[in-house]
Amino acid sequence: MRTAALRRLWPLAALLLLILAIALAASLAPVVIQRRVVEVFILLIAVVALYVFAGNSGVLSFGNVSFMAVGAYVSALLTMKPTAKAVFLPGLPTFLKAAEWPTVAAALAGGAVAAAFGLVVGVPLMRLSGIAASIATFAVLSITYVVLGNWTSVTGGQNSLFGLPIYADLWAVLPWALVTVAAAFLYQETRSGLMLRASREDEIAAEASGIDVHRQRLYAFVLSAFFSGIAGVLYGHFLGVLRVESFYLDMTFLVVAMLVIGGMRSLLGAVLGALVLSLITELLRQLESGVALGGITVAAPAGLGDAVLALAMLLIILFRPQGIAAGRELAWPFGRGARPIASDKASGGEIR
Amino acid sequence: MNAFAQYAVDTVSVGGLYALTALGIGLIFGVMRLINFAHGELITAVGYGLLLLSGAALPVAMAGSLAIAVLLALAMERVAFRPLRGADPETLLIASFAVSFFLQKTLALTVGARAKGIDFLPRLGEPITILGLRLQTLQLVTILTSAVLLAALSWFLARTRWGLEMRAAAENFQMARLLGVRANRVIAVAFALSGVLAAAVAFLFVAQSGTLTPRMSLELVVIAFVGTAIGGLGSLVGAAVGGFLVGAASVILQTVLPPDLRAFREAFAFALVILVLLVRPQGLFPARGLKERV
Amino acid sequence: MAASVSDASLLAVADLEVRYGPVAALRGVSLEVGAGEMVAVVGPNGAGKSSLMLAIAGAVPAQAGRIAFRGASIRGASLEDIVRRGIALVPEGRHIFGSLTVEENLRLGITVRADRRAGEADLEAALRTFPILGERRRQPAGRLSGGEQQQLAIARALLGRPALLLLDEPSLGLAPAIIDQVYGLLGTIRAQGVAILVVEQNAARALAAADRTYVLNAGLVRLAGTRAELIGNPAFDAAYFGVAMSGGAAAP
Repeated sequence: MRTAALRRLWPLAALLLLILAIALAASLAPVVIQRRVVEVFILLIAVVALYVFAGNSGVLSFGNVSFMAVGAYVSALLTMKPTAKAVFLPGLPTFLKAAEWPTVAAALAGGAVAAAFGLVVGVPLMRLSGIAASIATFAVLSITYVVLGNWTSVTGGQNSLFGLPIYADLWAVLPWALVTVAAAFLYQETRSGLMLRASREDEIAAEASGIDVHRQRLYAFVLSAFFSGIAGVLYGHFLGVLRVESFYLDMTFLVVAMLVIGGMRSLLGAVLGALVLSLITELLRQLESGVALGGITVAAPAGLGDAVLALAMLLIILFRPQGIAAGRELAWPFGRGARPIASDKASGGEIR
Repeated sequence: MNAFAQYAVDTVSVGGLYALTALGIGLIFGVMRLINFAHGELITAVGYGLLLLSGAALPVAMAGSLAIAVLLALAMERVAFRPLRGADPETLLIASFAVSFFLQKTLALTVGARAKGIDFLPRLGEPITILGLRLQTLQLVTILTSAVLLAALSWFLARTRWGLEMRAAAENFQMARLLGVRANRVIAVAFALSGVLAAAVAFLFVAQSGTLTPRMSLELVVIAFVGTAIGGLGSLVGAAVGGFLVGAASVILQTVLPPDLRAFREAFAFALVILVLLVRPQGLFPARGLKERV
Repeated sequence: MAASVSDASLLAVADLEVRYGPVAALRGVSLEVGAGEMVAVVGPNGAGKSSLMLAIAGAVPAQAGRIAFRGASIRGASLEDIVRRGIALVPEGRHIFGSLTVEENLRLGITVRADRRAGEADLEAALRTFPILGERRRQPAGRLSGGEQQQLAIARALLGRPALLLLDEPSLGLAPAIIDQVYGLLGTIRAQGVAILVVEQNAARALAAADRTYVLNAGLVRLAGTRAELIGNPAFDAAYFGVAMSGGAAAP
């Protein structure tokens, strides 16, 4: 029995170990590398958050970045020093102006508000399917962008918002990354997650089997919104400054591209997408700043990374639309031979 | 009265521009069920084409830029979208997203992301007085161009053989093929036409804004796309009307909303989109046969 | 008189297999249609009849087997090419273009004609031959009744001057009197030398009209024969209603 449980949890354990390994390796590396890894982890959280909804429901949401924005700004408002807020956001309501919450509480608040926003948006939107749903989530992204970009008293509007405490280092972000991946895995193993996946294949059949597709989608959407919010929180506290512009199309494209290239249908795909693409963009970024080749500095033009990312996404869509992971999770590597009940005769291990 | 007429002109002019953009998107969706996000890049390409050819005589520059748009449209169809024909709408959506970003980023890579000024048809900025109304020449040109192109497209679709094939393909692609309509040709014509429409929009847009950036068409396409969705994907009338309505709505909201809410007018427009999608997911003028397949 | 089944058949299908993913629609179907013949394929729902028609017309790919038209292989050819060779399919549900006028629907039928002027002349002739269509030539085709739409679909297919007309469930959803009209029309078409392959659930009607009939069930031909051989034959019911998964060769 224990082996069976282990086997079931293996895909999760493997991913968690992978993330831990990367973190440990980074902790030994120079700070510059550590910062890059933090960025990767934050993106990982964002991609996995999107996966929780899109991968299980089959509906691609373009709106998750808006949840990141909400989480980021909520946490910012709760953690910025009152003196900073007085300077940058004079129009803020008093209770927010005075607020100075501990970072974890503020992060949870950010996630919670994002989740609440997801609930409000999700109740009407989850009725839609296919293209209509994607368009609607895109509309949500745009609405959030416009509202946050103009709500100057609360967000600073078009101006950058400075003064966020920068606490998102490797050890602050790592637990969140692990929690997000674990939550995503556990969710998809629950009855709710399985019901949602059934609707992904055939919505009508699922409804006919008594699955409340609307409700299941909503659960996933809210969960996804929460973790997107967390990603946003960490992003803000990593940079120390927020701009509404960073939570719009470029970020959306990045997150969606990572999920699509990695493979929308499995958690492994989400994680791989984030890790592999970050690696590639990092390499390209190095190229952009110039690489010394025997005395000559070869530099790629700025923006090469983005162009390559877009090209990669296009190629994947054309040649391997299921993505790198192709819907699979990590398999138990030790084969089927090791079974607790002794019967080494038949290959299937039949019990006589 | 004059102020009202002024608003009307503004509305019709902006609405017309968005209607043209929406048509370019709607044409492709009609035959292929593909929402071509990269339509914006066609518009941008024309803009930069004008810059590239700014040394040549005006008609040459315009014709050359038009050719760029048509060729780019045909190329994107051939390379990116033909292999995906018949794929599910979500895949097509992601693919067009990817093409759009690829072109945008490649353009940024080659010409730089910074804005460039361009002096295109500066005379259109001059005011002109017609029937006691004082408007920008460009507005008049926009309205006329939109009307003419819409009429021309309608004529093409209603009266020519290719137009008939396209309408048939838009309603039921498979059945059209079963009657011998050549799929590749119909789709290529649709893309070429969308290139022409993109060029027209680009000329008008560039004349007005005077600047070029790799992302200049973004807002245009987003609004036009939204308009197409409201109007009814797959219906050309719907696309034009939807595009017009959303463009007009943004002007009207600008006027009607109290000043402190004005900046949020786009948010209202998008909220309206969601509302329409909830009430009528297939749009206001749904295309016949959107679900029909042999 | 039934044409003899030989290499000179107009259409020869051999061991055709069509699968949709793991689901096998046709598991090795063979049939022939001779020039000027009317052949029927009958069978219950899900027998694979539509798949057969779609495969011949090139609308769905076949995984194995041969399809030959006038001696040349057409399996794998594109729809547009197949219709240009002389096979026209009137699919199940008729699929006329509701947003186009009757005349425009017909005009699409002459897409494959090399001589467009002759095609236009035929179009006018068709509007005379089918008075209802002529009356409503400028109306949207979506307004026609079921029977009228069937007329339109057939007339449209005929404008391509096919040598072989494929009809998938032409009587579906039509009142008996209208079905009479449709089959009367088929008789006229056949008299003009066009071969017809018709697929029907309504076995009795098809059986009576066709020269030869194949009974298809669960992806295989279970029984085949002329009108005389099949009417009243007890084996017919067994073949038509037989248990699906018994797999195996066609009954004698």
